[in-house]
Amino acid sequence: MFDTSLIEILKEGLNGGLSSVFGIALIVMPLMIFLEVARDMSLLDLLSKWTRPLTKALGINESSALPLAIGLIFGLAYGAGVIIQSANEGEMDDKSLILVSMFLACCHAVIEDTLLFVPVGANGWLLLGIRLVVAFVITALISKYVNFDAMKDGETECE
Amino acid sequence: MVTINTLKRGFKKGLETIWILSKVIIPIYMIVTVLKHTPALEYVALVFSPVMQLFGLPGEAAIVLVLGGLINIYAAIGAIMSLTLTAKQITVLAVMISFAHNLLVETAVSTRVGVSAKLIVGFRLLLAVVGGLIINLVL
Repeated sequence: MFDTSLIEILKEGLNGGLSSVFGIALIVMPLMIFLEVARDMSLLDLLSKWTRPLTKALGINESSALPLAIGLIFGLAYGAGVIIQSANEGEMDDKSLILVSMFLACCHAVIEDTLLFVPVGANGWLLLGIRLVVAFVITALISKYVNFDAMKDGETECE
Repeated sequence: MVTINTLKRGFKKGLETIWILSKVIIPIYMIVTVLKHTPALEYVALVFSPVMQLFGLPGEAAIVLVLGGLINIYAAIGAIMSLTLTAKQITVLAVMISFAHNLLVETAVSTRVGVSAKLIVGFRLLLAVVGGLIINLVL
């Protein structure tokens, strides 16, 4: 069944796996420390300033800038947490809620995800660029052509 | 404010991530390596090569997409490393996996915000296909 001994194959697999992990660890470790420093230096206000043009172009309200920034940098779970908070405080309308969630579902934790693929051999800038652009274009199209009132009426009747 | 605790927290998170990543990457790398020495991988390659050709990928790369989609990016990386692929093919796979990964867990997170699961999964798969096709064409 096998062309070489199973032990040899497993050894090959273990070595390959370990060296893959090592290459990625060299990136993940500094990145995690950097992200924690960024969080504690409250770089988030600055970041939501950067995402504000994005919210404008997507046709959603300004209070979506912060969840968008957090989700893009730190990941889906953090972004969703902030979205839930903002939604509870009534800061986000239904359209913004849906569009930000859609955008983040497709495009989140961009720094970590991109850097994970770089040691494997992917083109990082291209990966990052196409992820942002494609997610943005498609979310913008939905924002423009989908009737959110109809969507909402279909889901909730009491309002 | 940045204190020593900030650095400690970052260090701890780094270790946690590396640990989670090892638990996934190493077994998957080993499994795919074993499969490479059996006819199983050739069979997968044969079945999927017509579809994968659209993205300029070999048939066995279907394994990367399935593992990434169902499990996570780490699993996809383990599989990518154990196959022989060109830099372009790895970039195509990276784009596709970036759009559609860890769908079971992440869809659960997304629906908590109130968006339909079908919509999210459909949208992400669409982006993966569109992204893969574009990268294959432009590179």
